[in-house]
Amino acid sequence: MPRIGVYICHCGENIAGAVNIEEVRQYAENLPDVAVARNYLFMCSDPGQELIRQDLKSGLVDRVVVAACTPRTHEPIFREAVAEAGYNKYLLEMANIRDQDSWAHWHDKEGATAKAKKLVASAVAKAAYLEPLEDKFVEVTKAAMVIGGGVSGMFSALDLARMGYQVYLVEKNPSIGGNMAKLDKTFPTNDCSACILTPIMVQVGTHPKIKTMTYSEVESVEGSFGNFKVKVRQKQRYIDWDKCTGCGDCVSACLAKKIPNEFNEGMDNRTAVYIEFPQAVPKRAVVDIEHCLNCGKRTIGTAPKISPKTGEPILAPCEKACKTGALDRSRAYDPEGDILEFDVGTIIVTTGYRVMDKTPFKEYSPQSPNVVTAMQLERILSATGPTQGHFERPSDKKKPHTIAFVSCVGSRDKKHHTYCSKVCCMYMLKEARLIKEKYPDTEIYMFFIDVRTAGKDFDEYYTYCRNLGIKMIRGRVGAVDELPGDQLRVRAYDVDLGTPVELDADLVVLATAIEPAPGLAELGRKLGINCGSEGFLKEMHTKLYPVETAVRGIYIAGCVQGPKDIPDAVSQARAASSAAAVPLTYGKIVVEPLISEVNQRICSGCGTCEKLCPYSAIKLMEDKGGRLRSHIDEALCAGCGVCAASCPSGAITLHGYTNVQIDAQIKALACS
Amino acid sequence: MSETQGALGVVNLSAGDPNLVGEIKELGGEEILECIQCAKCAAVCPMVLAGFPFFNKKVIQAILLGLREELLEDASIWACQSCNRCTEICPRELNPFEVVQAMRRLAFREFALPTMAINGLKSLYDTGHAVYMSGAGKSREKVGLPEKPPSTIADEKALQELRTIIRNTDLADLGIIPMGD
Amino acid sequence: MKIGFFVGCNTAFNRPDLEQAVRYAFPALGVELDNLDGQSCCPSFGTLPSVDKVGWCAVSSRNITLAEEKGLDMLTVCGSCYGSLSEAKYKLDSEPEVKAKVNELLEMAGREYKGTSNIRHSYYYLFNELGPDKIKEKLKYKLDGLTVALQPGCHSLWPSKVYFDKEDDTFHPRILKEMCEALGATVGHYSRLLDCCGMGALRSTDMGKALGLVEKKLVSMKEEVNPDLIVAGCSSCLIQFDTAQKILQKEKKINFEIPVLHYMQLLAICLGADPEQVAVLGETNVKSVIDRIREKQ
Repeated sequence: MPRIGVYICHCGENIAGAVNIEEVRQYAENLPDVAVARNYLFMCSDPGQELIRQDLKSGLVDRVVVAACTPRTHEPIFREAVAEAGYNKYLLEMANIRDQDSWAHWHDKEGATAKAKKLVASAVAKAAYLEPLEDKFVEVTKAAMVIGGGVSGMFSALDLARMGYQVYLVEKNPSIGGNMAKLDKTFPTNDCSACILTPIMVQVGTHPKIKTMTYSEVESVEGSFGNFKVKVRQKQRYIDWDKCTGCGDCVSACLAKKIPNEFNEGMDNRTAVYIEFPQAVPKRAVVDIEHCLNCGKRTIGTAPKISPKTGEPILAPCEKACKTGALDRSRAYDPEGDILEFDVGTIIVTTGYRVMDKTPFKEYSPQSPNVVTAMQLERILSATGPTQGHFERPSDKKKPHTIAFVSCVGSRDKKHHTYCSKVCCMYMLKEARLIKEKYPDTEIYMFFIDVRTAGKDFDEYYTYCRNLGIKMIRGRVGAVDELPGDQLRVRAYDVDLGTPVELDADLVVLATAIEPAPGLAELGRKLGINCGSEGFLKEMHTKLYPVETAVRGIYIAGCVQGPKDIPDAVSQARAASSAAAVPLTYGKIVVEPLISEVNQRICSGCGTCEKLCPYSAIKLMEDKGGRLRSHIDEALCAGCGVCAASCPSGAITLHGYTNVQIDAQIKALACS
Repeated sequence: MSETQGALGVVNLSAGDPNLVGEIKELGGEEILECIQCAKCAAVCPMVLAGFPFFNKKVIQAILLGLREELLEDASIWACQSCNRCTEICPRELNPFEVVQAMRRLAFREFALPTMAINGLKSLYDTGHAVYMSGAGKSREKVGLPEKPPSTIADEKALQELRTIIRNTDLADLGIIPMGD
Repeated sequence: MKIGFFVGCNTAFNRPDLEQAVRYAFPALGVELDNLDGQSCCPSFGTLPSVDKVGWCAVSSRNITLAEEKGLDMLTVCGSCYGSLSEAKYKLDSEPEVKAKVNELLEMAGREYKGTSNIRHSYYYLFNELGPDKIKEKLKYKLDGLTVALQPGCHSLWPSKVYFDKEDDTFHPRILKEMCEALGATVGHYSRLLDCCGMGALRSTDMGKALGLVEKKLVSMKEEVNPDLIVAGCSSCLIQFDTAQKILQKEKKINFEIPVLHYMQLLAICLGADPEQVAVLGETNVKSVIDRIREKQ
């Protein structure tokens, strides 16, 4: 005979304000199998929990019903109380008489009290059939994967590696470094970006616990929290990276020279054999096979022809230049690359962002070479950029005298992105300041809707720029027209002067929006995490859980979660590595026993459950007798109950929500 | 410059009409609350470039603040060219042109109209054309066309159809033009 | 090929030579024109559109039903007509409540708007349906050696979402340019190409301000292109550029005059029309340009 204790919470005024607690308590006392019914102001408080513990320890009750708030937040607390008294923590049932009763029916005191009685009766009916269950534990693989090798990914990887965990860092470009490697200087300190970034890159590249896989992409992720089974495709580079020293001789020798250089935002060209940028880590060359000319028909994987004159093999220029034998076109490389497989316990996604292209903005004459995006200007200013740091404008290489900066291009715009890209006001000011400090006679005009410089030291940066004589105009640019002689006419309405204004500029810089990196939605699908409406990955809770996602064990950080600057990205990256380290450190994952179980003797192997399981947790496997029987993977099962409900043989039990328990609840609700 | 750009003086915001936005939304400016006053529309508006005191952005701000009288007293809204360049580039997709049209529709209902608006409507009702020149027949014949174009001018039944329609629109309730036969 | 000709008030009464140009050029290119008898004002933006949305759409749609009855599309030569009709059609096609109310009104006139006819604009139609090459074949005169500056006009460009005929890039229009080049002209680019000419409501409200806008355009054209001819894509722009120059000259704001023609007039001339019918009512001295064109052959 079960002995049920019922504990009704006032929750201050939250429940007592609508429900007559004493009436419900008296009613509960008289329910079948109820040994005692108590009430208290705040059941979750220590004295409240003590009531439960006392009754259990004294043997008065052997299972507990708490009628209070939501199990979502408080079930763990009451389970702990039951466990502390020495009983199985699953001998607890909660009735939510707050969210589902007093809050919903605040103005109907009679109705709320009547409903509370029903809810308690239902919980008591189930409690009579509760079974003790044991938590299961799954060992966690003490390794992590970080997807994306930009500044966020690198900091996440370093933190985890320094804690002693094996980290797999996957980066799709040939080098780590990400977008930050393209910047000239970074606000608000105006540090040289490469100077502060390259030491981090080298630390990552040389850390014994970090396996850096560049020119690679995640192919698939199976398994679940604590035990993800990952496949990574290392794209074919056609060069033996164990032998390559990054000397660059092959690059100089390559004859295919007209490929738009992604690193310089398309402002100049690279060769088919290339090293991504001078400070690349790892510094290795890659053959871009799509653009490779196969000089002299020297295709990959074939033996070279022998010269009839010299008797020597006829090699392609790149091969010939290579002194280590790393570039050997005779090797039969698989164009699909190689697949690496490994297991990790947690995953952090830090794939960063892309800068929006200028082409959609026809009103700003994007076809003019002197209309550039801010990232393109960044490359122009950079010493490793297409102009080697000389300040020249694209059309005629002359130094621009009058420059216009246009903010919010593609941001705060219902046609493109409704969000504010957050970093543009600061980076426009930074670029303007760098130019003005170096070339004081340059006239710079900046057109804003608002000036958003909210971070630490940011507003001081803004006023400093004003002090330099950079002109700020409030009013979005409505048109940029081409004038004769490669000049551009910028048209805006100066809100402060209250007049329309025109500017003849040599160079127009568009602060285009930050967008999610291409392929993000697909990567999200592989991991089972969602993107929000604007295309960035969705965090679990914007305020309290910014680095967690809907999938346990997968974390996000940096611009993949939304536009942010480097200080915020690094903060978030380190928060993510800290969060990702928790399960690795604890070493095991608790698997709640409230999951489904198949009775193999009843199972007929029909396969209905396998098709319906949303978590791919069920597989039909042959038993000893060669018969197909359903197997549920405990680690994957989320306890949704679809299989239990659909099994035609009734072979599946959902622990914690058995048929017997639910029948009892329905009866209690109908008859009370 | 300062004079033609509309000196409103000190505007008492508390005296603004809180119903104005709702009326404008009813009359066709449904999306007016989307405006963030970024000024992109003003950058290219012919009314601004020509020097009118009110223009798209300013009309919207005035409506948002409920400055009914100030708007009705100023003739600028009648200068809108309907060029729709503002509509094409507005990042909030609020169609500033429609807001100005809505303000005109309000002005009609408050009888704050310039004569040219009344004349245009009168001509439309009387002849079927907003622009009609009685001496046009001569120049038409000069170039080898029939005296009358194939319109309501030459087709009484068509003119009556048009009048029937106009008589059943809101214009009839306003009594601004005579609508006899 | 056949299409309904929507003439428009200004063309019919102010510049009927433009109307005649269309009536010559289209058949010459193999497109029959239907009169759409009983057409009225589009209605112009300053009239019913400024009174109420339903009234505007009702008058516009009455015109459209004239074409629907005959299973034809409608052709306009004025940007404002193109705009008023197309915007009304867009509202009728995308807002069912408006369509319902409008059809209630049309019923009183024994009509119904179905949405089966499209609104087309003169030179866009020719560009899209015939193409510059077919037009070149039929030309009697060519414009080789002639430099023109264009006035495409605002309405045919914006708001692009409502138009049937439109440009890929409404801020860098090329169709009028290619149509002029098909006639052999050299088209010069000037930086104020897209600015409004000031004709219409602006001019009626304040003539002085409107002239200010035209003056800026004329000066830009003169300084950057120095054209022999201004070619307008809209009848309103035609009238504005044609009549403003004398006033500006009198006010000593400009000291030059550039002849102005609508594209359809220029096309008609090149196809062999009689200038006394298709290009005679303007104020600027188009005769000298036309003589030059016809002398060449």
